Amino acid sequence: MDPLRLFPPLFEEGKEAAFLQSGRTLSAVPSPRDNTLAVFATTLTDAHALRASGSAYPPEQDVYTASLDLIPSSERRLFITDTSVIFAAFQNLISSTARQDTGIQRAEQTLTMMTKLALDYVNFTRECWVHASQPVKRATPLQYDANHYRSLYTCLSLFVVLYLPESSLEDAPVGEELMEWLNIHFIEPTSEEGEQLSSQDNPWEDESFWPYITRAVLRGLSNSSVFFLKSLARHPSEHLQDLAEHLSPLLESHPRITHFSTERDFVVAFRRWKERVKSIRLELDRVPEKERRDDYADWWSHFSNIVGILEGRDEIIRSICTELGGDWKEVCAAWGVYVDHRLRRQDLPDAVGHILDLMPPDPTDMEDMIHAALFSGQPGSALTHAAKLDVWLAAHLADLMEPMDLLDAEVDDESELSARQQHILAYADYLRSDPALWRITVDYFCSCGPIGKGRADEVLLRVPIRGSLGPDGAREDSTDVAERLGILKEVIKTCHEYERASTHRRVCSIAARDFLREKDYGLSISYMVYAEDWRGIGRVVDAILSEYVLHGPEDFSRSVSTVAPALQELRAHPGASGVFVHRLMFAVRYAEFHKRRLGGDLPEAATDVLAMLSEEIAPRSWWGVLLCDAVELLRADGLMLFTSFGAVQLLKKLEEVLTRSAQGSGEEYLSVLVKTMQGATEKEAIYRLKAARLVLAKYYARCTMIPIGGRDVLVSHAGI
Amino acid sequence: MAPADPVPIETSHEDMIHDAQLDYYGKRLATCSSDRTVKVFDVVDGEAQRGAGQTLKGHTGPVWQVAWAHPKYGHILASCSYDGKVFIWKEQQPPTQGWQRIKEHSLHAASVNSVSWAPHELGAILACASSDGKVSVLTFKNDGQWGADVFEAHAIGCNAVSWAPATRPGALITPTPVAPGQPAPTRPAPVKRFASAGCDNVVKIWGFSEDTQTWGEEDVLEGHTDWVRDVAWAPNIGLPRSYIATASQDKTVLIWTKDSPTAPWVKTALDPSGISPTGAPAGKFPDVVWRVSWSLAGNILAVSCGDGKVTLWKENLKGGWECVSDVTS
Repeated sequence: MDPLRLFPPLFEEGKEAAFLQSGRTLSAVPSPRDNTLAVFATTLTDAHALRASGSAYPPEQDVYTASLDLIPSSERRLFITDTSVIFAAFQNLISSTARQDTGIQRAEQTLTMMTKLALDYVNFTRECWVHASQPVKRATPLQYDANHYRSLYTCLSLFVVLYLPESSLEDAPVGEELMEWLNIHFIEPTSEEGEQLSSQDNPWEDESFWPYITRAVLRGLSNSSVFFLKSLARHPSEHLQDLAEHLSPLLESHPRITHFSTERDFVVAFRRWKERVKSIRLELDRVPEKERRDDYADWWSHFSNIVGILEGRDEIIRSICTELGGDWKEVCAAWGVYVDHRLRRQDLPDAVGHILDLMPPDPTDMEDMIHAALFSGQPGSALTHAAKLDVWLAAHLADLMEPMDLLDAEVDDESELSARQQHILAYADYLRSDPALWRITVDYFCSCGPIGKGRADEVLLRVPIRGSLGPDGAREDSTDVAERLGILKEVIKTCHEYERASTHRRVCSIAARDFLREKDYGLSISYMVYAEDWRGIGRVVDAILSEYVLHGPEDFSRSVSTVAPALQELRAHPGASGVFVHRLMFAVRYAEFHKRRLGGDLPEAATDVLAMLSEEIAPRSWWGVLLCDAVELLRADGLMLFTSFGAVQLLKKLEEVLTRSAQGSGEEYLSVLVKTMQGATEKEAIYRLKAARLVLAKYYARCTMIPIGGRDVLVSHAGI
Repeated sequence: MAPADPVPIETSHEDMIHDAQLDYYGKRLATCSSDRTVKVFDVVDGEAQRGAGQTLKGHTGPVWQVAWAHPKYGHILASCSYDGKVFIWKEQQPPTQGWQRIKEHSLHAASVNSVSWAPHELGAILACASSDGKVSVLTFKNDGQWGADVFEAHAIGCNAVSWAPATRPGALITPTPVAPGQPAPTRPAPVKRFASAGCDNVVKIWGFSEDTQTWGEEDVLEGHTDWVRDVAWAPNIGLPRSYIATASQDKTVLIWTKDSPTAPWVKTALDPSGISPTGAPAGKFPDVVWRVSWSLAGNILAVSCGDGKVTLWKENLKGGWECVSDVTS
């Protein structure tokens, strides 16, 4: 357990008692955004009471933010993003396999694809290791050193060797492959040792000579061992010269499974080779006791050990490994090559168990523990250790393991999660330490059933899509808006991809409210429609209508022009509620009216205002405003824009407004008119309407003096 | 994994801070203090922006707690104080700047110790816990007015309130995929329910009856032997059951779980004996435990103890609780 330490410290080391005596303690609150905590010193009681009791504490009141995880940076970030691509490909493979019919051929193809993707992880970790190993000056220091990536590389490649072999090797002896894995990752003897020995005329005089050859033989590195055995042709002992001469061809002809097309041929060849090993043992035993040493070493014992390896004598292999500083892995690999050359993958756990009993892995070395668990056929245990080494490894190994039936896919009763889900959720939780990684975080969460998807929802809801307004109410510049819209669209796309309908609506709703706050009515109404927030649409329309009240018809018409396209969309929407659509229709119609009026098309404007009133498109609260607009048209110089029937319609509405207002419904009928007459009272609004009635009455009187009631006729009578 | 270095935010409070809360997006920090003020800071990458932040004045006593409302209601903050009042603040839209007090709730006769907003699905509803032993529930109504229900909850005093998530645990487990653009399926009405922690050593669960339009006591959780200082109902994101954490003067933290709506509450005590250097008895913290807070997903519990340490707890796969980290100076 790693403690989180505050920096700079709230109190110095050893001053804990003084801190507590001052009546203070520590509190922390988790952040909803990422894996940080807000930490601060506080007290359980009122600070005044505390001071009254004589307690003293420093005046600074700081709040610390502390991250629970090391936030991915530098090469680690790249590693996370690049491997997420392989993870996504793997999810696609698994889901497409689940959709298709299963069959032997299909299963084999899937396995081949899985192996390919697993090898992608292996190769990628190797590249990271190589990259991190380069002794170059870096702009930012590595977050994880080369050794960490090497550990990931060894574990993943071992997993592939043991659990994802090529289909032709699946049931073949595994020893050779294990030795190859060991030789790639844990190189012994080193090339420096070889170079140092080869620079000498009589290398057997060096104390590392026999250990070098022994280890080269143990590792099956015949080229190296034979090279130095040849140098023994110059050794003073004729016995050794002969033995070395006989041993070299034996090492060179050591049967390797990879060189045989059938196992039968391999087994026959191995049996014959073993016979030849026996003969060299006989030759070795014939060397007289007193001639078994030279001036530098007991060459006979070393030679005997080498022959013991070839004979497959387990106790000799174990003791040599211990002597040479090797560990259980080396014994296991040598076991598969020399002791039990037909060792199968399924028999490996038994053999390894026997070896591990005598040579246990290092419990402080997680890499070693993972190797041991993988060798022992304990994938669950490998994951437990992997989670301690790096949650990345545990998550990605678990993801590979489940479809291979190495892990139980059933969910646990207690946690309602499968083992794979537990490890992937832990990794996704770690990714939350950087909110900028939200896309990847969501991908991982969404691969973990309903529980993971629930957590993904919370991440999606908190992707920063909110704009900030300047002190003057101005929005950030257009680049920022474009960027924000881009992020918003990405969030929405992700919601669609993972079928997060409810989250989609909530995100759209929050965005729509933001756009409304910023007076971007067009975007606001579009997102209200996406959010199916019909009440919200009502709020946008109200805001637009209030533009008229506050800023007049020009601003109002401009605002309406941004939302007019949404009206069409809304009408087509099955869920759109009538009342809000109706209100939007009014706003659009009213803006058209003003456009015509301001553009001089008064006859059409008159038709509009009459239609809005008589067809009840306008809400009651707007009738007063519309009637006042109509008065302006009634007064148009020399124009008779309304028919007498139209004038009667206007009068009827005017009477309704005045009567209902007198009956106490003034708020319902006059509220908007009152607002447009800045600072006016309801009484003044009524007075204005009464004046309008007079104008209307006069107009109607003129209508009665003109014999025909049609507007066109009226216009012509008026001399136009 | 090694933790990152934290960076302190200077609040410029003139006296002890009692609470700090990050908003929904984790981008704003509200703090409150014995200096009778509330402050709001914009936080980017763990550091405060725009200088000293904004100061909200009006309380006449130490301010104990602050709570952010869901962003769909705008930038709204509630604060409660020793002065017996609860204020609701709203950030004004430009060009008017600053925070305006939009509601003053003064129906309590003593210090108000805790405020908590209900899940946003239920509306703008705030629960308040007071030393007068009462709990009040403020509801913002469609007509723009605030309604208030005040009722007796705990004799001597009430220390904390915490709302139950609006969706039942497990509701996420039965998915009904709906393509965006399609009408959502009818869901059961969200539940109005919260827990209160009292000086009578118990935690009470309160539920709202839509029929009688009143709050009623649904359950009493007995287990603590001294004041219950704090209660925190876990967000149920992905959790198969209901979880409540309670912290007490009796130096224990209890986790209450309920497997189904009809199952009883079952309690488990956190056991800090393994991490306590003083060798405290099993199930006991070294000092009074007074604050419990769940992480967003409800999978990590932060416990503030009077010993100057904050410990972080996680439920392991076997259903036991383990301390995963601690915060120390």
